[in-house]
Amino acid sequence: MLTGSKTTFKVRQMLPDIKERMLSQSGVHARSRDVFGLRCLPGECVLQRAVMVRKKLTAREGRGWVSGTLFCTHFRVAFVPQDSPKPDDNADPVLLGDHDVALASIEKVVVVGPNRTKLVTPNSSLKFTPEELVLYCKDLQVICFLFDRLTPDAQVIEITYTIAKTYQPLKPGSVLSFQNAALGSVEMKQFLSNRRRNTHMNWFESALDWEQELERCGATGWRVSSVNDRFEMSTSLSRSIAVPQKVLDTELKKSFAHFNEGRIPRWCWRHPRGSDLLRMASFQNNIYHEKDDIRNLEMILFGCQASLCVVVELGEELPSPADVQLAHSRLRALCLGDISTSVSVPDDKWLSTLESTHWLDYTRACLRKASEVACLLRGGHLTVALQEADDRDMGCVVSSLVQVMCDPHCRTQHGFQSLVQKEWVVAGHRFYSRINYHRDNDKEEAPVFLLFLDCVWQLLSQYPSRFQLTDDFLLALHDSIHLPLFSSFLANCQRERCKRSQNLGQSYTPVNGWRDMDSSSDPSDPPLPSVWDWSLQYSKHRRDRFTQPVPPTPPLQPLLNGNLNTNPDTHRLTDTIPGSVFLLSRGIFSCPANLLPWRGGGGGSSGVYKKSHRRAASSENVPGLERLLKAWALAEFPQGLTSTSGPQGPLDPYEPLLPLLMGPCMGLWKECYLRGALHAQAFSHPISANHPHPVERLAREVQQLKDELALVSTGTDTSPPAKMAEPRRADTNLNQNTNNGTFLFPAARPQSASAPRAAPRAAAPPTSTNHHTSRGPPPASAPPSRHGHKDNGGNKHTFLFGHPSVAEARPDQHHYPAPNNAKLPKSNGSSIAS
Amino acid sequence: MEKQAGAVGAADGAGPNRKPWSSATGGPATGETLDSPTGSHVEWCKQLIAATISSQISGSVPSDFTRDNKARRRPDFMVSKRLTPRQQDSQDEGLYYHGDSDSEHPSNALNLPALRYGAPVTMFQDQVPLLPGESVQTTVKDVMYICPFSGLVNGTLTITDYKLYFTSMERESPFVLDVNLGVISRLETISVPNQGENTKGLELVCKDMRSPRFAYKTEESHPDVVELLSKHAFPLSHSLPLFSFLYQEQFPVDGWKVYDPAAEYRRLGLPNESWAISKMNSSYELCDTYPSILVVPTHITEDDVRRVAVFRAKHRIPVLSWIHPETQATIVRCSQPLVGPSDRRCKEDERFLQIIMDANAQSHKLTIFDARQSSVAVTNKAKDGGYESESFYPNVELNFLEIPNIHVMRESLRKMKDVVYPTIDEAHWHSAIDQTHWLEYIRLLLAGAAKIADKLESGKTSVVVHCSDGWDRTAQLTSLAMLMLDSHYRTLRGFQVLVEKEWVSFGHKFAARVGHGDENHANSERSPLFVQFIDCVWQMTRQFPAAFEFNELFLITVLDHLYSCLFGTFLYSSEQERAAKEVQTNTVSLWSYINSQPEDFTNPFYVDYEHHVLCPLVSSRHLELWTAYYARWNPRMRPQVPVHQTLKELLFLRAELQRRVEELQRDATSRSSSSFSEHSPSHSAGTPLHSVV
Repeated sequence: MLTGSKTTFKVRQMLPDIKERMLSQSGVHARSRDVFGLRCLPGECVLQRAVMVRKKLTAREGRGWVSGTLFCTHFRVAFVPQDSPKPDDNADPVLLGDHDVALASIEKVVVVGPNRTKLVTPNSSLKFTPEELVLYCKDLQVICFLFDRLTPDAQVIEITYTIAKTYQPLKPGSVLSFQNAALGSVEMKQFLSNRRRNTHMNWFESALDWEQELERCGATGWRVSSVNDRFEMSTSLSRSIAVPQKVLDTELKKSFAHFNEGRIPRWCWRHPRGSDLLRMASFQNNIYHEKDDIRNLEMILFGCQASLCVVVELGEELPSPADVQLAHSRLRALCLGDISTSVSVPDDKWLSTLESTHWLDYTRACLRKASEVACLLRGGHLTVALQEADDRDMGCVVSSLVQVMCDPHCRTQHGFQSLVQKEWVVAGHRFYSRINYHRDNDKEEAPVFLLFLDCVWQLLSQYPSRFQLTDDFLLALHDSIHLPLFSSFLANCQRERCKRSQNLGQSYTPVNGWRDMDSSSDPSDPPLPSVWDWSLQYSKHRRDRFTQPVPPTPPLQPLLNGNLNTNPDTHRLTDTIPGSVFLLSRGIFSCPANLLPWRGGGGGSSGVYKKSHRRAASSENVPGLERLLKAWALAEFPQGLTSTSGPQGPLDPYEPLLPLLMGPCMGLWKECYLRGALHAQAFSHPISANHPHPVERLAREVQQLKDELALVSTGTDTSPPAKMAEPRRADTNLNQNTNNGTFLFPAARPQSASAPRAAPRAAAPPTSTNHHTSRGPPPASAPPSRHGHKDNGGNKHTFLFGHPSVAEARPDQHHYPAPNNAKLPKSNGSSIAS
Repeated sequence: MEKQAGAVGAADGAGPNRKPWSSATGGPATGETLDSPTGSHVEWCKQLIAATISSQISGSVPSDFTRDNKARRRPDFMVSKRLTPRQQDSQDEGLYYHGDSDSEHPSNALNLPALRYGAPVTMFQDQVPLLPGESVQTTVKDVMYICPFSGLVNGTLTITDYKLYFTSMERESPFVLDVNLGVISRLETISVPNQGENTKGLELVCKDMRSPRFAYKTEESHPDVVELLSKHAFPLSHSLPLFSFLYQEQFPVDGWKVYDPAAEYRRLGLPNESWAISKMNSSYELCDTYPSILVVPTHITEDDVRRVAVFRAKHRIPVLSWIHPETQATIVRCSQPLVGPSDRRCKEDERFLQIIMDANAQSHKLTIFDARQSSVAVTNKAKDGGYESESFYPNVELNFLEIPNIHVMRESLRKMKDVVYPTIDEAHWHSAIDQTHWLEYIRLLLAGAAKIADKLESGKTSVVVHCSDGWDRTAQLTSLAMLMLDSHYRTLRGFQVLVEKEWVSFGHKFAARVGHGDENHANSERSPLFVQFIDCVWQMTRQFPAAFEFNELFLITVLDHLYSCLFGTFLYSSEQERAAKEVQTNTVSLWSYINSQPEDFTNPFYVDYEHHVLCPLVSSRHLELWTAYYARWNPRMRPQVPVHQTLKELLFLRAELQRRVEELQRDATSRSSSSFSEHSPSHSAGTPLHSVV
């Protein structure tokens, strides 16, 4: 199993023994748990432990030290604090405890002794007793253990050796043994096979999933094609692809040859204003024999927008995977520091060095490109096709960023997971090669996905209140990338995943759960869970922090529908000649003759076609498009919104979150990259930075108060508020959350502004801003009415319990604050006046 | 609270906590013609500044904008939308409205929330709001404002004795630029191409990191704008009074009463058996830059003190700044000893330090922190200065904190201005910041203060802090160390006391360092040391968001009025001068203004950790550039989400809910006092939810 040298012997000796004991009489194991408090995974065995060890806590954990027991198993280095509660033996196994680190994420083991530090390798021997053990991890954590004088020296040395020998600098073969260590036991396999897939998210694995997405986005004119069901058309594409309705499968098949790797233009997302986002690889095989061919290509590219298509070339302005890799390795080196070599960047060069990594430049470039695309889409009724040579790296980044910016659904945890599933996992991002788990393909290695996470974090930090997911979630995802355990990341495309999970002869059955294990599972090949199975990875305590406490889980109803565009859109490009194609590159539109190779050069092959689709030389369209981009650049609010709904109008929830991109605005994700900062002082004020955002904390308090209010009011049966509380309790959790979140922020505003004033003031205008602050935009399906709001604006009581406009805005939902408005003044008026 | 929301604020400003105390003050001096409550002027003014800034709209992108710039721009609909409501509030607030285009200036954004008294003040002619006591000097039409962000704006320029006020109705939305004259560092004529022959250009180089430029036509009939401006921007150079002496505002709270030395020393448990409150300097004879009340060791005679004074530069003898309530370890400040090239000694001075050491029973050592670079301290010997020799002062440990002098700091901030105004080079932002070394100096200061605090707290040892004269770096270090050690100074009032005590009363030369009303902009005495101190405080608030009672707006407001000459707080260089000019009777204190509306300056997350010592992380990895202050004039720096705003709303909501909960509880208990305690858990509501914060 373990391919180490000396340890292997030891482990082999131990393994069967322990396994046996555990299987036959779990009592032994249970007892050891009682003593040391470590809850082992099935099949996991403790190789070594050390008592009275102190672990240095990061800023996020509150800084300082916590003492407990340190374990090394053949899967992880675990640490159990002294006072941690007794583990529940019946709970589902969790791979990593709050203080644990998987051996596979460890990159370097360093010990600090009196006056020296030493890098410990499997072969090194220690000539001193370490005082400190520092684990440098691939996910940029630096974990530091301090051995107390009370820790027996033998334990200290032994555990250091054991960790040094068992941690697996990933190399071919070690990944498998690691997987086996974690998931290889019979119980674990059993456990995993019984696991249900998360049904709250869309996995995009079946045609049905895609149809759901089409429906959610209101993308009419598109259909799901299973033409690639057996990966015959394109090996890297998913089984199901969304293509224009009017293209038949037979026609579709002919077009695959014209694109690199057969990655034809596919539908990704529809903006509520009716624009479609497409992805494709570069054109190939520029021979177009038949006019049907050309017709099909045009149809696929234009989708259902007959008029206008903008091809966004991603190659030029965005970093190449090699750039990303270089930047990331520099960033790592900068942030981790290295006590073993004592190389660290001097303080006065910190920012310059940070700049020279170019990491922030690359996040900026991605965000800028995505902003451009988002603004184009906002214009409505055009097709934006992202084109990248192989459509497997930056295409993923930009298309998913655009959706995070534009689609509130993608800013929820499940929505985001679906997005990653759609644009990365199923779309064929080469996770396996890019992460390079096996260390056998350094050339291909590039943390493109981490770049994407950083971009999302930038958005999150600029719009903290518009996200339902938190940076804890992003961080967890960031860390999981480095664990070679998840099917999501251990393959380059859906085909590979399917291959692995089943015999190719069988047909794929997504209904049955993640994979079919009984038949094909073989000890050397444990079933792999999906990364989205968070409860397998983290404790509930940690998972709870993945989402904002108060903000809503927006209802998963189809929020988007392509017909949202009720406002006359002044940006609508009415002057467009049908069939115009433009290239957006470096912020400039152009229509190079060879943009679509089949139209190229006035050439003969497209001669027939030219008649129906006039050559897109219409430069008069360019201004229109440039206006769109300029709209973004100049920060103009779309006039459709301002003029029709006026200042009181609701913020279009699909108004993209456009990030500030100036130098000072691009932040460093310190919670991630500087987690291990060794130079941080150990002791500090209990309330330090890196805690939840103040707004979140306050929001939580408000929520608490509300709960208490509800509680109290139920207590007083006879008082009017009691009645108000009743329906609320009947609410489903989801609804409750939604209510709180949506009205909480908006509601506060008009009130705080108006309540203390004597004169009633038109509170309506602020609503326009409300939605800026609201975490979850109200469903688009309910056009808010404004009248009631205005009336209530001067009413001091309304805001306390709900925002009238919101209440009205969602008549379809049970909204507990609403009834309240009427009642409060009675019980409350005097007190407020006083 | 990062980048608080600044811009946002406008809308709320007047909102929540407006109290009609104007009646209490006996009515505005200006009488009923003004339909404004007193006190509104300052806010109004700020509002205008803010509005201004936020209303510098660009209709067209100036040609010099590269594509890159274009791409960098972004919509600011949030702000604009937020501002809109105000428009309906009162007619003047139309000023805010700047449509949907990008408002170019970020506004003094943070100041906006402070505008409580939203109503306009005296309106002069074309709605130039005036403060009580302010008078219009001239109005010039057809002036062009050369906006660095959006090109030329044509409008009317009004100059009063307090501010320069530029309005334009040219564009769809009114445009206002309001610069108080105190902030002007120098006036420069610039060339304006393509605008006709008799057009002159004027650049106002400001102390607060901006430089607005104007172009105007010279006409015979008009008074010279430059001359007039310079007269009122630099009144002291023209034998005119500073505006603070003309300012007639009345506030319900008297900020001059904030700092009472006797009360403050009493709070510290002084006098005690080792330390006495001395009136030796009551007529400023002993030391003309020290306050009248000093704390010196009990066991030392007046004669000895006088001899020590002769031995210390500028007669600034070692006096107590702070005493640890438990260990009795003290922070003592002074100036450098006049050792000179011949290594002079002073028995009394040596004894003085020995007594200071002995006053602290916990330690038999004394640590001297010399803020200077050691090399500089050595060269100072040649200039008759120097440092304590460890061989002459037994048990004394001397540490150099290696902080460069005021000239270096001035240069650093000057470089910073080039980095942040008018354009920000996004690709080289970080290295440009590095090259200013500003953060490096901030780090040195914080590290030095942390060392001092640690010495007191962990080492239980008394420290003596000095630089050369003991009024620049010494003030920075002692006040920062006190801020770390004593939670009282982290409150709104306490911080005011700290500034009044360590900076104002101990003779930080504000007049020279800031150059109030003085046109000699090249004076090498000028240096942004107080700005640096406030920046350090801001860095600490970033690291300990719940430890300070005041918020970012407070810090920015303090800095704005460091320059404005509206309040008397920072005028002159010593207590003696202030007494001579009767500053307290003739001017208004900044703290009057602040304490009249404390809620605007209060950090909602403040938790009083009474005995917590803050140890900020001083690695540059944990320091940030305070862009909300330095880069605030750039419209593209405005925060995206109005965090500050949301916070205030939530606080308000929380207070209301809490009140409701309590009320209902009372209700419930009175109704069913006999019933079983089904709602007993609800009593937890009574526990302050602050604990969560």
